[in-house]
Amino acid sequence: MAQHYDVIVIGGGHNGLVNAAYLAKAGKKVLVLERRHVLGGAAVTEEIIPGFLFSECSYVVSLLRPEIIRELDLPRHGLEILPLDGTFSPMPDGNHLWRMNDHAKSVREIRRHSRVDAEAYDEFSKMMTPMCRFVKPLLSMVPPDPTTLKLNDLKQLNFLLQRFRELSSDERYTLIQLMTMSAADFLDQWFETDVLKATMSASGIIGTFLGIRSPGTAYVLLHHYMGEIDGAFRSWGFSRGGTGAISNAIAGAARELGVEIRTKAPVAKIVVKNGRAAGVVLQSGEEIGATIVSSSVDPHLTFLKFLQASELPADFLEGVRRYKFRGSSGKVNLALDALPKFKAIPGEGAHLRGAISISPSMEYMERAYDDAKYGNYSRRPYIDMVIPSLTDPSVAPAGKHVMSCFVQYAPYKLAEGTWDQTREAFGDNVIDTLAEYAPNIKEIVVGRQILTPLDLEREFGLTQGNIFQGELSLEQLFFLRPVAGWAYYRTPVDGLYMCGSATHPGGGIMGANGRIASQVMLKDWGKVARKAKGNGGSDAKNFVSARNAGAGSGASASDISSQKASH
Amino acid sequence: MPIGQRVAIIGGGHNALVTAFYLAKGGFKPLVLERRELVGGGAVTEEFYPGFRCSTLAHTAGPLRADVLRDMQPEKFGCEMLHADPRVFAPTPDGRALLFYDDHEKTAGGMARFSARDAGSYPKFAAALEKIAGVFAQIAAITPPGIDKPSPEDLWNLLKTGRGVRRLGKTGIFDLLRWGPMAAADFVAEFFETELVRAVIAARGIFGTALGPWSAGSTAVLLLRAAADAHPVGPASAPRGGMGTLTGALADAARKAGAEIRTGAEVRHIRVKDGAVSGVVLDDGEEIGIEAVVSGVDPKRTFFGLMDASQLDPTFATRIKNLRANGTVAKVNVALGGLPEFPALAAGIGADGFRRALSGRIHIGPDIDYLEKAFDASKYGEFSAAPYLDVTIPTLLDPFLAPEGKHVLSAYVQFAPFTLKKGTWEARQGELGRVVLQTLEEFAPGLGELVEGVQVITPQSLESEYGFTGGQIYHGELALDQLFTMRPVLDWARYLTPVRGLYLCGSGTHPGNGLTGASGANAAKEIIRDLR
Repeated sequence: MAQHYDVIVIGGGHNGLVNAAYLAKAGKKVLVLERRHVLGGAAVTEEIIPGFLFSECSYVVSLLRPEIIRELDLPRHGLEILPLDGTFSPMPDGNHLWRMNDHAKSVREIRRHSRVDAEAYDEFSKMMTPMCRFVKPLLSMVPPDPTTLKLNDLKQLNFLLQRFRELSSDERYTLIQLMTMSAADFLDQWFETDVLKATMSASGIIGTFLGIRSPGTAYVLLHHYMGEIDGAFRSWGFSRGGTGAISNAIAGAARELGVEIRTKAPVAKIVVKNGRAAGVVLQSGEEIGATIVSSSVDPHLTFLKFLQASELPADFLEGVRRYKFRGSSGKVNLALDALPKFKAIPGEGAHLRGAISISPSMEYMERAYDDAKYGNYSRRPYIDMVIPSLTDPSVAPAGKHVMSCFVQYAPYKLAEGTWDQTREAFGDNVIDTLAEYAPNIKEIVVGRQILTPLDLEREFGLTQGNIFQGELSLEQLFFLRPVAGWAYYRTPVDGLYMCGSATHPGGGIMGANGRIASQVMLKDWGKVARKAKGNGGSDAKNFVSARNAGAGSGASASDISSQKASH
Repeated sequence: MPIGQRVAIIGGGHNALVTAFYLAKGGFKPLVLERRELVGGGAVTEEFYPGFRCSTLAHTAGPLRADVLRDMQPEKFGCEMLHADPRVFAPTPDGRALLFYDDHEKTAGGMARFSARDAGSYPKFAAALEKIAGVFAQIAAITPPGIDKPSPEDLWNLLKTGRGVRRLGKTGIFDLLRWGPMAAADFVAEFFETELVRAVIAARGIFGTALGPWSAGSTAVLLLRAAADAHPVGPASAPRGGMGTLTGALADAARKAGAEIRTGAEVRHIRVKDGAVSGVVLDDGEEIGIEAVVSGVDPKRTFFGLMDASQLDPTFATRIKNLRANGTVAKVNVALGGLPEFPALAAGIGADGFRRALSGRIHIGPDIDYLEKAFDASKYGEFSAAPYLDVTIPTLLDPFLAPEGKHVLSAYVQFAPFTLKKGTWEARQGELGRVVLQTLEEFAPGLGELVEGVQVITPQSLESEYGFTGGQIYHGELALDQLFTMRPVLDWARYLTPVRGLYLCGSGTHPGNGLTGASGANAAKEIIRDLR
């Protein structure tokens, strides 16, 4: 191998870049390999239609960990978050619900629908704050192993238990509910206004193949709610220049720290020698060596495509095969030559500057899910839209706009036909749905990009089109993500690590995965490097080092418990 | 409270009778007050059509937990259990069938005709289930621990449970953690490829709940049931003479131990003075002054129906209000002039003969989508057009329930929501009965011509006749957020209530779920400790 790096990061998405930046910061020589011509993975901006910049996949940001923004000094590298104010939910009867960041205004608006709910909304916000406070430290810790009796894991589990015991009875009650209930049942306890519950419950299903009445969705609701109370920026926001600008800022920071980044460099396989990762082979045939290979792509690509089955233990492989992706959403990006006019609030106004949510009732949401369960895209889907050009005019020609529509449900596996045959009909259906609320939509669309789950898989490397690299369902969270027993960023192959959304704490533009993974790698560094050294050289030496690696792997298994949580 | 004092028990269901028995054994004088003329609650035998009797509601036993069975010895009071093997006969509309026997190898033999792979997985699945069910059984046997001040006994119980969990090994522990929150459809898909196999096993996770097989958490319900009987499908045992025989025997055992049982005695009101129970008022105005009351009826009825809710701690009241208790089942009992024919049996039957093959439960719900679609309807306030049915023909093992040569067919019907969006249950119960017969007709052509009489018990009548609030036969939805330390509500999962001297012992408490007597037995232990 001509070249050798300390770490090769597979995939130039936001987690891969964060991971690389932190490793370089610790003095490692890092190479990032991105398959596409552009960085960012699903956090990417591209000019699909001349003059119009689309945040093709991920379109808003809120969960990006403040410590990452600070430690990588992202604002200096061009990160600028513009506030996204409020959620506007038009209803078919011409009424609407418009919640704003200004809490008092939202309460007034909700009072228009229900006095009881207006009061409850206050209490609800008050209750969610301690909930987020409880969960947040979990987002930056390596999950403990609940099956060992190792001191460190027990300490961590005890830490969680003690924190739980410190909560008041009401807080415990709510926390348990959030961890186990459906978003709909949870919200039913608090509110009576259908559209309010429907719109709020939508955060519980985003990116999952679950309905608002499926237990477990209350957790996803909390997962998304957390962004709203973050100390660094209180609300959801856009990144100036589109979501890709976040990736570019992280890439800028990484390059400054010495990371080498190559685009159009698709990986064909991960090289395993003597049971440990030794580098990668690109599709071009080029071979690059590394002490550590860090994969930010999902477990299917990492373990089923880049590795041979024979290189992995059978039970681990079974776990990977069982890991659920089940993409459930699509994306329709529209180029507009004017703004949509909503029946509910005609004309331009602040209601267009926030999120626009087509989620008029709980039954609407649940029926959308029912369609998908049997392999059809929702006849009337849940749509979450933003018009970033209103806040950031740089993304569209003067006077024109881009509108990004996140569409759920769109099951990866269709009951009939293929997504290639269905793509246009799916897009038409989205426009037809929008036209029920904004009748001028058909006249103002001058271009569109339709991304089905299949496109998300083919273009962006998201297996089965799952935007979180695997479903955020209870059995795939925390110490169970992605594979039970392997939720610690390590893999059964020595020197191979995971750092993408398929690891704890899951998806969204958080960057937490990449950051925690870098800590684990640095902690293991001495041992991995020692073993890697033994790997080179003659066959005879390999034989010896293989034995060493064998002996060493026992030590590394016992070391799983000795990770430190960042509490 | 000195030993020898009277304790009123509201309701004469099986859990209440179990509690009465243990209280009597513990030296108290329990007085069971049952509203209806017969004890048993949801486990009764009634004549539903002239000459035809059956277990009008529950038609198979839990079974009773081993210690309850040992202590109360219902067999000494005339209760003979009839055990069906095969447990389940599951036909498909295209004329194929599966039989689930007690013996796993025998079941696998039949399964091989569908899929060799499934036949190979089945014994492994049964073993895995048995292993994990053991832990669930341990959990079902203990009082949920206090979170703030765990007692030494709590800690001991947790230690024991912890050791049980550890014995599962690393893979087993992860399976336990992974499976609990999963959808039953996903759970069965990890083992089986045949839709019929998947549907029969997954159905155990949705029976009596407001969950479909694709609802996350339905596996937890399935495992909870496996705790009472660690077989891939639930048991199909019933006492001779119907469920009323069993509860009658439990009542006799309780009486013999010293309990007094009054039927036709409806409690109207629980009197509370200064935060403590002072007595109960009966329907006819009679007042019984008493220092301790155990409620065997559901928590919603107990606190909102039988009490002045303003006397409750507001946090507690809110939690009880939020307790989900939305019924999803109806019951249809049919008087038949003869035995219906199931053509699919010809394909599935072994050497045991036609009648024996039908003597367990008949599962109507041939694939996962069928079950899920049946569930879908209920989400929008409609009953299933093609319902999931859990059917028994008790007269095959117990011919005296019907006139000679005639039969009874008892069907649990899912899903039937408590509140219909269109029309009322009163107006539409006949329609539900017809839907059930039509559904059965698909699997048993000609069944319609045998029908002599039909009884439809709607979710509404489950509430009005049998006292199940919301028509929820388990006194509260079985879901992850309403189990163990959350059943019925957090902080009050130890059979005690915020009202001094008022206790709960029904299915709305841990572990709830079916005719096992576990809630009643667990409750008695805590009540005796508290009263002493």
